[in-house]
Amino acid sequence: MFFKPYTESKICTFYQKGACAFGSRCRYEHVKASRAQSSGSSSSTNSQPSLAVDSASLALPVRTLASRVSLAPLSLSELSASSSPFLPPSKPAWNGSLEDDYENDEVNVGETWSTRPEDRAICSFAAAGSCPRGEKCPHIHGDLCPSCGKHCLHPYRPLEREEHMKTCEEKQKQLEALKRSQEIECSVCLERVLSKPTVAERKFGILSECDHPFCISCIRNWRSSSPTSGMDVNSALRACPICRKLSYFVIPSVIWYNSKEEKQEIVESYKARLRSIDCKHFDFGNGNCPFGTSCFYKHTVKPGSYVWKFHRPPPRRPPPRRPPPRRYDIVPMDVIIHMFEHLEELDDYMFEDLENEDLNPWERELLMHMGLDTSDSSEDEIDLWP
Amino acid sequence: MVDFARVQKELQECSRDIERSGIKVIPKSEATLARLIGTIPGPVGTPYEGGTFQIDIALPDAYPFEPPKMQFTTKVWHPNISSQSGAICLDILKDQWSPALTLKTALLSVQALLSAPQPDDPQDAVVAQQYLKDYQTFVGTARYWTETFAKKSSLGIVEKVQKLVEMGFPEAQARSTLEAAGGDENLALEKLCSG
Repeated sequence: MFFKPYTESKICTFYQKGACAFGSRCRYEHVKASRAQSSGSSSSTNSQPSLAVDSASLALPVRTLASRVSLAPLSLSELSASSSPFLPPSKPAWNGSLEDDYENDEVNVGETWSTRPEDRAICSFAAAGSCPRGEKCPHIHGDLCPSCGKHCLHPYRPLEREEHMKTCEEKQKQLEALKRSQEIECSVCLERVLSKPTVAERKFGILSECDHPFCISCIRNWRSSSPTSGMDVNSALRACPICRKLSYFVIPSVIWYNSKEEKQEIVESYKARLRSIDCKHFDFGNGNCPFGTSCFYKHTVKPGSYVWKFHRPPPRRPPPRRPPPRRYDIVPMDVIIHMFEHLEELDDYMFEDLENEDLNPWERELLMHMGLDTSDSSEDEIDLWP
Repeated sequence: MVDFARVQKELQECSRDIERSGIKVIPKSEATLARLIGTIPGPVGTPYEGGTFQIDIALPDAYPFEPPKMQFTTKVWHPNISSQSGAICLDILKDQWSPALTLKTALLSVQALLSAPQPDDPQDAVVAQQYLKDYQTFVGTARYWTETFAKKSSLGIVEKVQKLVEMGFPEAQARSTLEAAGGDENLALEKLCSG
């Protein structure tokens, strides 16, 4: 996946890794990794920060700074330095000149000038690309990361280094995969899948049984095209257009895979995604899902539903007839009986009819008989890679 | 709606490869890409060798999800091609079509059909009978038809004859005059008018 899960805490992860390009302008708390955990327990230094918070409510510009301070207990000298313009100093003055302190503040707020090298953050400018101060920079310049080409490896924090290299490598792999995917052409429209005009089309349709690339719209079009000219649904339409191997479902994906494992991963995460979505056909126990127990979607039985009451799915409604019969004398008897049987559910049926527009009756019928599965249902537009 | 972007690509690819394959596909008119003319050389080592065969191609709206309609406009003596209409009996143009096939690959298959007749699944029963019972005569007839209808000089002669017939000349006379004029339509017309 490309995106990191959103973390609840407002702590800057870049800073924790040793480099935040935003410096003091960062929206997030600049707290050291080790401190973030311990800050809650350490109460000895709390007398001073609480004072800062009180004063912060008076002056808005200080608040962000002060609340930051309260989360990350600082050495007294630094605290008084940062809040001094608004607070009468509780302790006589600071050590350096105001300008010096201000400058340090700009680059990294909340940093203690500890002598231990692993406690010092690396230069954020160097980590982001280049440091204008070069050799004269007072901060540690990180080592060069071979994957991302930036000086962002903290020389004294081995765990962080390892973690960064790992995520960096993974990211790099993803980028390469995307680059490779960009080259791949769909064998039906003969266009590069990821260069199609609309975003919705820029997706691969992966066949479960073979490794031939198509764009999702082409392969879906082929599989759902009506079998005119004597084409057989099972042997022709369900088959790969190139190797004619039968596949029973198509997996949409923004990225093309390079190995069996990668394909497996894509398929599994797609299925997992579908499993979390309620099946429209099943309709919480009120509808009849043509895929039964092998449906990819979630079948949740709501209390009071048909399945909940009778422990079996409701009877299947007759296949939709098009055009609808106009004269009563040609309506088969069983249709009328069915209509009365489910009069109270008529609204549901009408609704479902619209949904099923893209799933041909013969297709559903066929799958029912084969007891096989497909993901080609109306909810199929779920993206594996958002 | 026919996927014209794909057809355009196919035509480009085909013209790039024309030296090697000898297969040509051109639009029938400037107006649309849905009607095309394909040309295949007769395969070497068959009675069709030396001939150039024209195939009329019509793309259905659902192309490439439906097979293109193909029909010989050049008369061919072949068990799987109608000697009357030019209809082709080939599975990939019917139920074995796949959207991964292109006009070029389809024409290649037609060319392969010329070199490998399937008399057990005939389109033209008369030709198939002859192929099975009297192979030598079949080869002779096929070669004669190739000489007569598929040689460069006689290419399009059928249409020209048809045109002259529509003008009111008897078919036999129109054909012989055309042949005498070396296939030149205008010269033949002059001769017919003066004669």
